[in-house]
Amino acid sequence: MILLGALVLLLAVLGAPIFAVIAASALLGFTRAGIDLSVVAIEFFGIAETPVLVAIPLFTFAGYLLGAGRAPQRLVRLSQALLGWLPGGLAMISLATCALFSAFTGASGVTIIALGALFMPALAHAGYDPRFRLGLVTAGGSLGLLFAPSLPLILYGVVAEASIDELFVAGVLPGTLMLVLLAGYSYWRNRHLRGSVREMSLAGVRDALIEAKWELPLPVFVLGGIYGGYFAISEAAAVTALYVAVVELLILREVGWRELPRIVRESMVLVGAILVILGTSLASTNYMIDVEVPQKLFGVIREYIDTPATFLAALLGFLLVLGAILDIFSAIVLVVPLVLPVAAEFGIHPIHLGIVFLAAMELGYLTPPVGLNLFISSYRFDKDVAEVCIATLPFLLVLATCVVIIAYVPGLSLWLLS
Amino acid sequence: MRIESAGRWLEDALLVGLFGVLTLVSVMQILLRNLGFAGFVWGDGLVRIGVLWIALLGAVAASRDQKHIAIDLARRLLPERFWRPVAVVVDAFTATVCGFLAYYSWSFVRDSRAFGDTVLGDWPAWLFQLILPVGFALISYRYASGCLRRIAGVKR
Repeated sequence: MILLGALVLLLAVLGAPIFAVIAASALLGFTRAGIDLSVVAIEFFGIAETPVLVAIPLFTFAGYLLGAGRAPQRLVRLSQALLGWLPGGLAMISLATCALFSAFTGASGVTIIALGALFMPALAHAGYDPRFRLGLVTAGGSLGLLFAPSLPLILYGVVAEASIDELFVAGVLPGTLMLVLLAGYSYWRNRHLRGSVREMSLAGVRDALIEAKWELPLPVFVLGGIYGGYFAISEAAAVTALYVAVVELLILREVGWRELPRIVRESMVLVGAILVILGTSLASTNYMIDVEVPQKLFGVIREYIDTPATFLAALLGFLLVLGAILDIFSAIVLVVPLVLPVAAEFGIHPIHLGIVFLAAMELGYLTPPVGLNLFISSYRFDKDVAEVCIATLPFLLVLATCVVIIAYVPGLSLWLLS
Repeated sequence: MRIESAGRWLEDALLVGLFGVLTLVSVMQILLRNLGFAGFVWGDGLVRIGVLWIALLGAVAASRDQKHIAIDLARRLLPERFWRPVAVVVDAFTATVCGFLAYYSWSFVRDSRAFGDTVLGDWPAWLFQLILPVGFALISYRYASGCLRRIAGVKR
């Protein structure tokens, strides 16, 4: 049995789909426990018993559709008009825009492809050096992870059975901290670039605002609607999807009806890939809870670790390694059910844990060997992966500092909730 | 081959159509609720089952595009001549696991039918659960045929 387990793990490293690896371990586990294996299907059916999941296809579709039209261009123009007067401003604009856009598109690479392509030449024109540009755009691709309505936040809420509304609120300050520190780094690094500063023109701001009038209400719907308590998450998702479809297809007509099936299919491929992992992990988690893995885990950890602070340090180390090899969605469904009860024993708030978890996993997008952003950037900008890694390193270090702060200052995540 | 391409077309059409229905029903529920009506009794249940169907159909589509989430270490660390044999093993494994999943989902559906479970009022639940065995069987088929093609040396 242990041999079989090791074999399954080897297959995972060799590139077997994660969902198949999880399903295989669940099947093996239940066989060992002598439980009828149709339990795996029964658990998978749990997907149809979790109402909030409908938000995932709806938000994903809205993000893909936004990326297909000219929304990215308008967003860039607006932020340039608003912040172009600041030294190092264009770098900060890129960061803020990437954060906003990747919150909607779920850090799936769409941001680097859609926005990165716009910012790279603009940053070059403003005199930013090539390495800085590359690192900035690569790091920007997952900056929105802690902002609503990012998919990982929703998925964590589902898996941890925590309030997604609260997670959306809790992510605001930690996400802003990441933005502020990265902006500070960009300013310091480019303090010699005074020449690129432009005059702020009110007319320019007005034009850009008018141009972006259809996209501007979006964050208001989602954030205002949810934070203000007007919408449930799934309702906000439905309204967002419908709104984006009406704007892109009927009002602005930037996306043709003929492209719609392709966009729906493309976004649903991502949704299917995530949900099939969630479905199979419902079964494997059930097995692990059954054989009391969290309790045993806690027993072992307790022998070496006795304060919440050391536990957090160990957790961060673990998540850094995990994030380097596993994608964020698989990590959430596999690890959260195990870590959550252990963290609770150490008195760590589940919402705080969620923010720490996602913030730490965000680093995983930028670390070799499997950091998604590194490869998307390398592919999109035709650069060697090693070169992208080096360019991204300073940004990674800044973000790592943020993660430590987020972990040890729970107030950052919890203050807005109280 | 014609059956295969017709099947693909059907998969895509189902996926796109289902997503459309899901969006419309979700929006309609909100409208009705805010206008003071109760909304359809079966609306929420339909949406939840729609998500399950999208999950499976999306996963089938992901198998076709080779877009399932995986730890892609082998390709980065192993020399190119190992890629094909590794892919053959990985595909065979995935096809087998999904075969098991299809089989045990089928037995779940059979039991549910025997018990007479119902959803959305008095619709038989097994009709809606059928997507589980069908979906996993299709994924298994995709990986099995991919595996055979790799062995035969045909590029996908």
